[in-house]
Amino acid sequence: MTSLIALLRKINHWVALTVGFILLACVAFTLVEIVVRRVGLSLGGVDEISGYVMAIVTSWGVSYALTEMAHVRIDLLRNRLIPLFRSVFDMIAILSLAATGLVVAWRGWGVVSKTLSTGARANTPLETPLWIPQIFWWAGWTWFAVTACILVLSTLYFIVRGDHDRLDNTVGARAEV
Amino acid sequence: MIPFTTFGLLGLLALSIPVGVVLFLLAFGIDFFFSPFPLMRGLGQVVWSSSNSGTLIAIPLFVLLGEVLVRSGVAGRTYSALDKWVSWLPGGLVHANIATSTMFSATSGSSVATAATVATVAMPQARALGYNEKLFSGAIAAGGTLGIMIPPSINLIVYGFLTESSIPQLFLAGLLPGLLLAVMFMAMTAFLCSAKPELGGPRRSSTWGEKFRSLSDLLPVFGLFGVIVGSIYAGWATPTEAAAIGVAISLLIAFQQKAVNWNMISSALLGAIKTTAMIMLVVIGAYVLNFVLTASGVSRTLQALLEGLGMGPLATLLVIVLIYIVLGFFIETLSLMVATIPIVVPIILQLGYDKIWFGILLIIMVEMALITPPVGLNLYVVQSARKGKPFSDVMIGCIPYVLTMLMMVGLLILAPQIALFLPSTL
Amino acid sequence: EEFSVVGSWSSLPLHKQFETPFWTKTLSEVSGGDMTANLTTHDQMGVASGDVFRLLGQGVYDVAMTVGDYAVADSAPLEGLDVPLIATDADTARKMVEAARPMVDDIFRDVFNSKVLAIAPYPPQVVFCNAEVASLDDLKGKKIRASGRMTAKFLEALGAEGVNISFGEVPGSLQRGVIDCAVTGAGSGYNAGWWEVSTHLMTLPLGGWDPVVTAINMDKWNSLSDAQKTTLETAVKEKFEEPAWATAQDALENDIACLTGEGECTYGEARNLVLVRASEADSQKAREVLISKVLPDWAERAGAEWTKRWSETVGQVTGVEIK
Ligand code: NA
Ligand code: NA
Repeated sequence: MTSLIALLRKINHWVALTVGFILLACVAFTLVEIVVRRVGLSLGGVDEISGYVMAIVTSWGVSYALTEMAHVRIDLLRNRLIPLFRSVFDMIAILSLAATGLVVAWRGWGVVSKTLSTGARANTPLETPLWIPQIFWWAGWTWFAVTACILVLSTLYFIVRGDHDRLDNTVGARAEV
Repeated sequence: MIPFTTFGLLGLLALSIPVGVVLFLLAFGIDFFFSPFPLMRGLGQVVWSSSNSGTLIAIPLFVLLGEVLVRSGVAGRTYSALDKWVSWLPGGLVHANIATSTMFSATSGSSVATAATVATVAMPQARALGYNEKLFSGAIAAGGTLGIMIPPSINLIVYGFLTESSIPQLFLAGLLPGLLLAVMFMAMTAFLCSAKPELGGPRRSSTWGEKFRSLSDLLPVFGLFGVIVGSIYAGWATPTEAAAIGVAISLLIAFQQKAVNWNMISSALLGAIKTTAMIMLVVIGAYVLNFVLTASGVSRTLQALLEGLGMGPLATLLVIVLIYIVLGFFIETLSLMVATIPIVVPIILQLGYDKIWFGILLIIMVEMALITPPVGLNLYVVQSARKGKPFSDVMIGCIPYVLTMLMMVGLLILAPQIALFLPSTL
Repeated sequence: EEFSVVGSWSSLPLHKQFETPFWTKTLSEVSGGDMTANLTTHDQMGVASGDVFRLLGQGVYDVAMTVGDYAVADSAPLEGLDVPLIATDADTARKMVEAARPMVDDIFRDVFNSKVLAIAPYPPQVVFCNAEVASLDDLKGKKIRASGRMTAKFLEALGAEGVNISFGEVPGSLQRGVIDCAVTGAGSGYNAGWWEVSTHLMTLPLGGWDPVVTAINMDKWNSLSDAQKTTLETAVKEKFEEPAWATAQDALENDIACLTGEGECTYGEARNLVLVRASEADSQKAREVLISKVLPDWAERAGAEWTKRWSETVGQVTGVEIK
């Protein structure tokens, strides 16, 4: 189980780095646009593409934040509990995350499938076929749901074994921001 | 439905469910129990459209900028330079905390990032020099909140985005109140430490030579602020594009400091993605909740309630301020803004107040929310830099600064020009 | 029957003067209390304008209204409802919309699973410039903020550069020279203070008339009794659509008067923008660009069948032929 979690962390580490570099590429693209605009030209569509990048950075970033335990939790009550109850709180938290991830992934597919059925293109001069950014966006949320479900299983496993320390190190609350 | 929402919110937060997810769960609950419409069918569309925004990409960019600055050592040098200039005041290094926060606010768009940056470099000094940690850490938490008042500011970008107001105007409007608030924080510190010197620590003196030699360490931060804000006002870049320029300049600074390597770049990127995802889960959750609340009529009820009080503009404004103070104990920053703006701003406009001015007033309320318990992100950030000491230290240390913020609210209501003067010159 | 209704922009006149009274009062009166509505707007809900009809089709609410142009991402043929510059007055615009109505009905049925109840006009979209302009030719090389694909394409065909910035960013950008001109409704421009940062007002409807479509979810529509259908349809037509069109031309004249000080401004202080009226040459040129470039482009996006339908209806009424 520990090695499965380590693998999950590693994957999310690389996922986050990848979207990080996409973000850097977007910075470069924006800089080029600012410069060429000074000489009266325009690449066009920087704002539109930044929007797609933001949606994708977000949807893939949430699972990295999840395995890094970075999603803010109010742990005033939790920190005053004995380890067993603390683990129960963590279980509730990860279950809620997984449920939310599943619902967003499920409803998100509705967006993609509607786009595919109407052949929607962005209402801009670029006319981007919207299924392209949307499918990457949707895949991010789906991966988030998968990550959360794996964490639910590991939490269950640790609770049954009474291994509250490992559990805390997997899905605990960290005040770190 | 209003009691359900309120108690549901508090209950789920107390269960230590992640804040963003709490907002989603509440939305699911209201949809399931109260709405005759299948609102959740619209969920995917709301999630997509709220994150598909070229404006919001400023969030990861400003976070990334801060990450690069910390990792290139600029933060540490800025702190010691400002120490030489302000620590002769009663309260000593506490003033350096506030001054460094103010400087960093001018390059960082986020309060949490500002507080985290300053806490990392300052907290070790408190131990080494034997400062009373209450006021010392309170000053970092409170000073850090200036990050969203002094431009650039992620929260002002979101406010402009939601209310269709001009972001450059909002940025200009935040500048004077932000600086004034910093001065008031220092005045409050000096006042307290003159009355009771044991609240602070040793006053420190430096020679003028040391002072002037330290000035070069302030150049990177001043330069960055100049480029970011300058490019906006010269008409070269939109606020979002200015964030991209800021990232590029911070990388140049890091390069000049010989701090650029794979390790530094990758950890800065990872930090930025982590923080952005954390913020965005809350923003998206707030969007979904707002969608459900409006569609099921809660927002309308609240609006009617506020309007039905039948009070004059000033009294209504004070009631709204009071509501923000109370909400601010439990909710904060972007969630507090996204959830309330659609309800409150139309009322404020109807009362005849200015949209830009209210944006700044709202930011002070959000700043206050960041340092009031039980939910106060900056309290947690500072606490996480001083493991093993009681959390109550930070909370108590913030009280004088919360009072200062309340004074600032009063000032802003009495003299709106503090915020509106600079934008009117644009 | 209580409808959940999503109105267009909460701050704009069409919503305040026509949508709100109709849905909150008139409907209940004419149906003897049988039909009522709960009204909100998409901006209050935080729903993106392009999502309004998608969500309507999914049954998230019963009735929705928004600018047809916002929904063209899902249907290129819908762009044909609002072709810029071929209608320079409200009467022609109305004829154009009526000619397009059967096409719009079909699009809404097939793409958005909903039935069109009305198509009402927004004030036409005019051009605010912070630069000397006297004719359409002067727009060449200018940086212009426009929303909507066809308007952007039209500007490109004129040799102008389309810049995409949000509504709230326009005044600052005009002032600082990030853009030279911006397209919006004359009334919205007045209310948002664009006259402070511009010098010239070009009254060519460069952005078209931005017709606002009101539609009802198809399943909801089918669940109504015949009597209810008739009452609703007639009421929307007579008490909402008619009055909105009736005031459209006057509203435009009045907005222009308020912005330029030429004529009498009935709702506020008159401003002093330089009024640039379209000359015969401008109209000629606009038509030429439309026919030679913009419409053929659109025909390619929309497909042959829709192009043919458009030519036989809207094209017929306005005397425009797609080559
Ligand atoms: Na800032
Ligand atoms: Na708080």
